Amino acid sequence: MTGAPDRARRLQGRTAVVTGAGQGVGRGIALALAAEGANVVVAARRAETGEPVAEEIRARGDEAVCIVSDCTVRAEVEACVAATVERYGGLEIMVHNAFKGGRAHRVEDLDLDLWAENSRSAVWASLYTAQAAYPHLAAAGTDGRLVLVTSPAGVEGSGGIPAYGPVKAAQRALAKSLAREWGPLGVTVNCIAPVAETPALAYAFAERPELKDRVEARTALRRIGDAEADIGGVVAFLAGRAGGYVTGQTIVCDGGSFLGL
Amino acid sequence: MIVVTGADQALAAGLLEGLRASGETVVTLPDGALASRAAAEAALAAAVAGHGPLRAVVHAAVDPVAFERVPFHEVDDARFEAVWERTMQGFLFVLQAAHPHLRAEGGSVVVVAPVIGMAGAAQLAPYAMALEGLRVFAKSTARQWGPDGIRVNVVAPAPEQVPVGVASAELALSPPALGRPGDPVADLAPVVAWLCSPAAHFVTGETIGLDGGVWMAP
Repeated sequence: MTGAPDRARRLQGRTAVVTGAGQGVGRGIALALAAEGANVVVAARRAETGEPVAEEIRARGDEAVCIVSDCTVRAEVEACVAATVERYGGLEIMVHNAFKGGRAHRVEDLDLDLWAENSRSAVWASLYTAQAAYPHLAAAGTDGRLVLVTSPAGVEGSGGIPAYGPVKAAQRALAKSLAREWGPLGVTVNCIAPVAETPALAYAFAERPELKDRVEARTALRRIGDAEADIGGVVAFLAGRAGGYVTGQTIVCDGGSFLGL
Repeated sequence: MIVVTGADQALAAGLLEGLRASGETVVTLPDGALASRAAAEAALAAAVAGHGPLRAVVHAAVDPVAFERVPFHEVDDARFEAVWERTMQGFLFVLQAAHPHLRAEGGSVVVVAPVIGMAGAAQLAPYAMALEGLRVFAKSTARQWGPDGIRVNVVAPAPEQVPVGVASAELALSPPALGRPGDPVADLAPVVAWLCSPAAHFVTGETIGLDGGVWMAP
């Protein structure tokens, strides 16, 4: 167990599904939720990435299982949630983090294949994960949580990856709308907008070394976030009792880069 | 010449009437013009051939199915396709078709996105998602096309301007500070005309509330 031994684990007995948990921010969120006592389903498209994360969590003495699931396919999301509920008896926390499609492009050259990668993984998968989780979150009442991983680009747009802005903005609008719609059930719906060390970012930095300095210099804290400690910890807060009166919000966890919200 | 999309609905029809009243040449696109990039390119080429250079696009097109209030857990793929995917792809096709014309003219785009998107609304989530998608796509495009001299802005009318069947107060919003949601012809169109004009040449990526003071941005 990695949670502080001198206090109760905040998510003990609750169950979370984290999409895209095989790497990066999703892995960090899965580790952080498990460390607070949650049963964590590592939902990943490929067992090669998902299984090692579930194993890493179990090696710490926490509870996790990998379920191979493509969140852009409605039936696979439904099957993942059904298997989760069968195994753990319920689902209190749904975290949709998976994303694919962040390649630089010009608006005038954006083809429907790249658009579809962005739209399917960010937006359609938000529809599927929210709908599949809905009856279980409703049953969980004031313990029910939906967290969508968005981006500062969903607020300010992106000149380099234009399609990334609107698909991340749509998730923010969904969180606001569902916060109102599901609020009477006690369920909260929020977004986080992280800047964190991930394989995708490491790849971008390897390609363009000057980018790391630029991203770091833009943060007030002069460092890029750690996926588990800096991002996962915020999701654990939102998922717990202490986060129960925060809903419809975008929590920007970017070390103080974007301060405009 | 200014192209207005979505003028089969009252809000954009009012904007079109107001722009015409101020002396602008305003053109609508035929049915199906937003269905593909090729269709949008053909429609804009025909508009330019018939009415002269394209100075601006005022984009308001959205399938009226977007205005139907449905609990989110009952939204099926067909509805989501019509509201989210068609709205976004239609805007993409218009942007792509307009790009060469606007670059040549130093033109601009104005997106019409009611404050429902920024505020969020129960039982209107797909519409709210599409509106925020449009608004932030406008920001992305403003950033990327700024060097081409193309400006992209957003106006945000009151919820009362679209037939969603609920007023600002029922969406947990404040009523308009000015006491009324405004008239598209008299109150909204002049601001859209200004955004399309050289007087607004240094304004881009901006969202202007045109709701009489319902939503006041943080």
